[in-house]
Amino acid sequence: MDDTEPDLSPTPSDQNSPSPSLSISSSPSLSLPSTPSSEGVGELSLVIDAEVAQRACQEVLQKVKLQQVEGDVTDPQDRVGQDPPGPPAPALTPTVKPLKIREEVDDPEGVAPGSVKSARRRQRHNPSKQSWLLRLFESKLFDVSMAISYLHNSKEPGVQAYIGNRLFSFPHEDVDFYLPQLLNMYIHMDEDVGDAIKPYVVHRCRQSISFSLQCAWLLGAYSSDMHISTQRHSRGTKLRKLILSDELKPAGPRARRDPLTLTPFCPVTSPASGGEHSLSPSKRTHQRSKSDATVSISLSSNLKRTASNPKVESSQDEPVRLAPQREFIKSLMGIGKRLATLPTKEQKTQRLISELSLLNHKLPARVWLPTAAFDHHVVRVPHTQAVVLNSKDKAPYLIYVEVLECENFETSSVPIRIPENRIRSTRSVENLPDCGMTAEQRAGSFSIVPNYDNDDEAWSVDDIGELQVELPEVHTNSCDNISQFSVDSITSLESKEPVFIAAGDIRRRLSEQLAQAPTTFKRDPEDPSAVALKEPWEEKVRRIREGSPYGHLPNWRLLSVIVKCGDDLRQELLAFQVLQQLKSIWEQERVPLWIKPYKILVLSSDSGMIEPVVNAVSLHQVKKQSQLSLLDYFLQEHGATTTEEFLTAQRNFVQSCAGYSLICYLLQVKDRHNGNILLDADGHIIHIDFGFILSSSPKNLGFETSAFKLTTEFVDVMGGPDGDMFNYYKMLMLQGLIAARKHMDRVLQIVEIMQQGSQLPCFHGSSTMRGLKERFHMSLTEEQLQLLIDQLVDGSMRSLTTKLYDGFQYLTNGIM
Amino acid sequence: MREKTVKKVKSPYVYVSRYINGSECRKCSEMLLNLEKISDRGIILRLNAKGSTNVNKSRKVQTDTAGILTEGYCETVNSGPLIILCSYTYSTSTMFFSLLFFYFCSSLMFQVNLEYLESKLESVDGEEVQRIQDNINSLFHHCVQALGEEHQIKVVNALQTLCALFRGVHQKNKSASGFDIINMLMGFDKAEQRMKDLMERLDSLLCGDGSESLKSLCLKLLLCLVTVTDNISQNTILEYVMINSIFEAILQILSDVSSRGQHGYDAVVLLALLVNYRKYESVNPYIVKLSIVDDEPTLDGMGMVVHQALTEYNRQYKDKEEENQGGFFSTLTSMVGSMFIADADEKLSVQTNEAILLALYEAVHLNRNFITVLAQSHPEIDIAVTPTTPTPTTPTTPLGTTPPSLDMMNNPELPLDPNLQTSNLLITFLKYASIVMQDTKDEHRLNSARLCLIILTCIAEDQYADAFLHDDNMNFRVNLHRMPMRHRKKAVDKNIPSRPLVCAVLDLMVEFIVTHMMKDFPMDLYLRCVQIIHKLLCYQKKCRIRLHYTWRELWSALINLLKFLLSNETTLLAKHNIFHLALLVVNLFNMFITYGDTFLPTSNSYDELYYEIVRMHQVFDNLYCMVLRVSTNTGQWKEAASKVTHALVNVRAIINHFNPKIESYAAVNHISQLSEEQVLEVVRSNYDTLTLKLQDGLDQFERYSEQPKEAAFFKELVRSISLNVRKNVSLNTLSQDVLLKEFSTIS
Repeated sequence: MDDTEPDLSPTPSDQNSPSPSLSISSSPSLSLPSTPSSEGVGELSLVIDAEVAQRACQEVLQKVKLQQVEGDVTDPQDRVGQDPPGPPAPALTPTVKPLKIREEVDDPEGVAPGSVKSARRRQRHNPSKQSWLLRLFESKLFDVSMAISYLHNSKEPGVQAYIGNRLFSFPHEDVDFYLPQLLNMYIHMDEDVGDAIKPYVVHRCRQSISFSLQCAWLLGAYSSDMHISTQRHSRGTKLRKLILSDELKPAGPRARRDPLTLTPFCPVTSPASGGEHSLSPSKRTHQRSKSDATVSISLSSNLKRTASNPKVESSQDEPVRLAPQREFIKSLMGIGKRLATLPTKEQKTQRLISELSLLNHKLPARVWLPTAAFDHHVVRVPHTQAVVLNSKDKAPYLIYVEVLECENFETSSVPIRIPENRIRSTRSVENLPDCGMTAEQRAGSFSIVPNYDNDDEAWSVDDIGELQVELPEVHTNSCDNISQFSVDSITSLESKEPVFIAAGDIRRRLSEQLAQAPTTFKRDPEDPSAVALKEPWEEKVRRIREGSPYGHLPNWRLLSVIVKCGDDLRQELLAFQVLQQLKSIWEQERVPLWIKPYKILVLSSDSGMIEPVVNAVSLHQVKKQSQLSLLDYFLQEHGATTTEEFLTAQRNFVQSCAGYSLICYLLQVKDRHNGNILLDADGHIIHIDFGFILSSSPKNLGFETSAFKLTTEFVDVMGGPDGDMFNYYKMLMLQGLIAARKHMDRVLQIVEIMQQGSQLPCFHGSSTMRGLKERFHMSLTEEQLQLLIDQLVDGSMRSLTTKLYDGFQYLTNGIM
Repeated sequence: MREKTVKKVKSPYVYVSRYINGSECRKCSEMLLNLEKISDRGIILRLNAKGSTNVNKSRKVQTDTAGILTEGYCETVNSGPLIILCSYTYSTSTMFFSLLFFYFCSSLMFQVNLEYLESKLESVDGEEVQRIQDNINSLFHHCVQALGEEHQIKVVNALQTLCALFRGVHQKNKSASGFDIINMLMGFDKAEQRMKDLMERLDSLLCGDGSESLKSLCLKLLLCLVTVTDNISQNTILEYVMINSIFEAILQILSDVSSRGQHGYDAVVLLALLVNYRKYESVNPYIVKLSIVDDEPTLDGMGMVVHQALTEYNRQYKDKEEENQGGFFSTLTSMVGSMFIADADEKLSVQTNEAILLALYEAVHLNRNFITVLAQSHPEIDIAVTPTTPTPTTPTTPLGTTPPSLDMMNNPELPLDPNLQTSNLLITFLKYASIVMQDTKDEHRLNSARLCLIILTCIAEDQYADAFLHDDNMNFRVNLHRMPMRHRKKAVDKNIPSRPLVCAVLDLMVEFIVTHMMKDFPMDLYLRCVQIIHKLLCYQKKCRIRLHYTWRELWSALINLLKFLLSNETTLLAKHNIFHLALLVVNLFNMFITYGDTFLPTSNSYDELYYEIVRMHQVFDNLYCMVLRVSTNTGQWKEAASKVTHALVNVRAIINHFNPKIESYAAVNHISQLSEEQVLEVVRSNYDTLTLKLQDGLDQFERYSEQPKEAAFFKELVRSISLNVRKNVSLNTLSQDVLLKEFSTIS
């Protein structure tokens, strides 16, 4: 074994030996062969093994310990200068290392000291500093956030390589949160960082379709700011191509069928196939991918359907594994693009509905909404429920999507199509849903068989005067024919006189019923989304479920998503990350601030999807539809100020206001008109649209100089500037700021990494980071902070600009 | 080659070869001998040896004498020229059929002169029938056999010959029973087998990947077969089509986008006709099968075909209308008066298409799943999915009637025309109905209008259809055609708001009610119209849907209708039971009065209802007087009239309650003419003292059933469709040139 190893060197062939290429990539002293092969197909054969990765980690760790100091001591330039002499060493390492590592495997605990010693022997370094870093890296406290931070800040290839390997040991969800950061670093930072990250990305791509697509989308989006010529050859573009070519599929055939049994680091199980594989990697993979393709076609009949678009079929290179989802997303985007060409909302809505009904023909398929939290297959888009959202020239739209939850969307079989009309065979005509009626109502209004026998008797009187005379109980059993409220009176047994009704009653019931439903908004062709969004989510789910042929299935779920075409959502994604980070900081610090980060899916630099906030309408819509002040609207929706319900809503309002005030201040969120602030059914406000944050503001008009939006209406809801709730609001903000300040780095790091290579307007100018850092006011004492908060609140409350801005918006966009 | 037995011939002559692909055909030779035997009657044969080179490929040989052929082709197939044919007038039919038989046997490839064949069959007199029957039988047999041939020209010829046989034999034996015809064509003992073979071959031709023109020809043969008798149910041969179903083949054509584009129309018409075979007497498998289809692409395909045909009609109509209204002359005529507009309308009339309407009816009536197709939006992108084969070489007009425009069907990309409204089958149908209903003077259009209303009745009864008709999320702008009338301006198209579809249905009903109060009163249509409204109201009441519709228009239309009935009482009573209609109308008002709380959109609309009734109280008073008078007299209308008196109870109560109140209000306030607002005020303040009687069964309706009420209508309709289809199925329209060109390259 040992003898043959060096010969095989560039492509790893055997399980039992640690992958040399891996050890090379993780070996700091090696100047990597940055030949194209390392980027492309050649690396496909790279097998990442759990053990190998771990070993590599440890190995690197040693080097880190040795070199960290060196890196710290020596100037970067010097280090670069030192690099060339490096190569002699690696010539030695690959052959020696494996032996050593194998010995160490038996005693993982003892590794560090031993290797440190040996390392020390060779490289003579100061041990104390290294061990601090080492301890940190090995401590339980070392989390993804820190890893990312070190990956970004450390200029030391060894550290980067170590962290690259350490990524394998973090839970997927944790790393996923930082995926934009990771990929942005991969694209825009130097090669060492890229090399450190790549194995992890490739490995995860092999495991998961959704991760693959996620990466591909993000890589595309974050590469877009590069100059077109460099972009084409950039590593990001290459990796994207690699992923989309679908070469990165699970290595073993078994893995495909059952990824659950796949141990996270060990995709190749059969040595034979692995060995063969390595002999002619590119050829093999290609063939295999083909056969895999045929298998998956036969497995999932849906593929044909999804790919039934001739355009897809014509390009046969399209990978099968990723194709359905890509097609799904593509068609959603296509709809958006076509809608944008239509002039009126009404036409857009009609067109949207008809386009979606066509999309329905291709569902169910192995497609999913990436914004969802669980695995599922999309089975149907209730097309009539879709609405076009308010936007001047783009056509973002909101769709509801029926999905069936499943174990794993890659392996669970795709649900069988149930025809649209099948719903009717599950119910008899007579039992069709009574369109949103409650059971009691239905009972009342349902008419069965006319009681013709009684008819004649009832008609024995034909003089109107006699109508006043009470007839005997002719109709006790014909109550079905009676207007529903008469039934109510019958059932209450107060009157056995169903034959006569007072016209006044009918009229009264009419107005009462109309008044009963004040919470629905009136349909407005210019604002179709208002009605759709106002409808309580639960009710909508129930209604759609009733109308869906899949509704009877227990794992049926309803999701919704906003499809944005022509909008750059990268800033939104950044905001989401910051919000999410702050939210978890506040949770960790137990500050009851409430914010709702909504999920963002960046598909490219000008398209994406947004997870809508359910049960929420914009303040603009509230005001326009209800014609009430915010406080009055609260009173209308939640009851009088003293009721439990109102107080809860008010508390929610205050907590969310405080949260978003802080966020608006920290992130300098601008463009805060009422169309961008939502109010949910519980009284929370939710800010949406983070198109103008940090260094950018709309049209640079210089409006909105206040720290955040706090109108008198808001303060009124809080019970006025002297109320307890208002003080609570300020107190919350103080607590929130203190907590955020404590974990400032976690927030800064997110923003800082994304600034790399970015042309986003929010990074315009040089002072973005400095400004953000300053707004955390590290230097102030808590008392000073309190003062600051008071100032901010006062300033915002008094701010003329808020009002001015609202007026401006009203004039220009008709937003109230 | 070896043998040159070519005789010198005089014209007219027949060229025949007794060689098939290089070897002599014994049968042919026998036939030739036979022919030679009768050559003394004027037939001279010329036998052309194989390999003879004096005939150029594809040279057209034209003969002018009447005969089997008017023209033929020289065909060089591998080993040499096989055919040259010409015609001759035979004195005996026997001879003729012998020759025909021969032609198949010897694989001659030429087109039968169908008209001649048909007329020949007709002219066969009684005695000869027996003699030629064997020949016909074997000709039939050979034709069926030839359908399985590889050589497509033979298939084409066989199909056409079969068609001519069916037609000719029927023509000959118009009075004969179906069994005689079967005997004549196939022979009793073999009929079952022959027809089974025929249907199987047709099925495989229709479902195979063969030439599109061939499929088209198959469908034409079937259409021809289905329509040979005036009354489809008397076509006994169809019994075999029932047993050997080609339903699946039809469905397959409809489900595939490209074949639907080319043959969809014929397929749909064929299906509609087959469904109507002995509909009321026996179990028709096509009815059963059609009612359970649930394959969406197929149903969609069917909807598409209907949609396209109706769209085409609407477009043609619009074009004509614009043509007529564009010039100076038309402005002049419209100035002169409505008298001439009626004339212009006649000119406008585009041939209506009952066949496709019947297909729509059958689909809606029989298949519950089809209802979803009605609401299926049809943005044109759907069609873009395939046309990969740029072949459609048949520039023929299927059936000669409105063909689904191929351009539209194959339009690959949806033109991003902002004015383009997304449409669906229902909208197109409503537009079509609005055109058809404009003019119900002639029988055809009356039937069309009736069928439209029947379809709407079925739709209004269907819960699912009602659900999407009332779906608030599906708003459409439907431009109905309105009859130009003197007293109103033509509505500007753009002003129609986008509303749920049910509004368009109601508009259409109101439009009909308003425009058809004429001497020749279409009572039947009125009844259907009012019933449709009633059904929609019942649904709204049941599901508590508050439709934002201007009900006032409906109320005033209904009141006007009552007024019309009153003023034409004597003329109308001679023909119709006007009390039935009056009862339905009054009960619509009763629905509003007693159940208004469940479906009226605003409380104001309830007040307006009262206002309208009180305002028009004269009409109700007169109606009451009339029905009271009739019901107290003895006569045939006594019963019917007394029902109306009972139904009027609430309306009268309202009038008697509010009129005095309004008068006293006017008196107290010294106003001679109360404004609407003032009247509404009086209404609002006086509800409480009014008691209404709750009537039973207001929200009940009789469900539509075709039998027995409509059976006669459909029988007649199918008969007229059959005639029309037969007239238009012309095998000659499928140009032989096209076919031969196509197949000469195949072979």
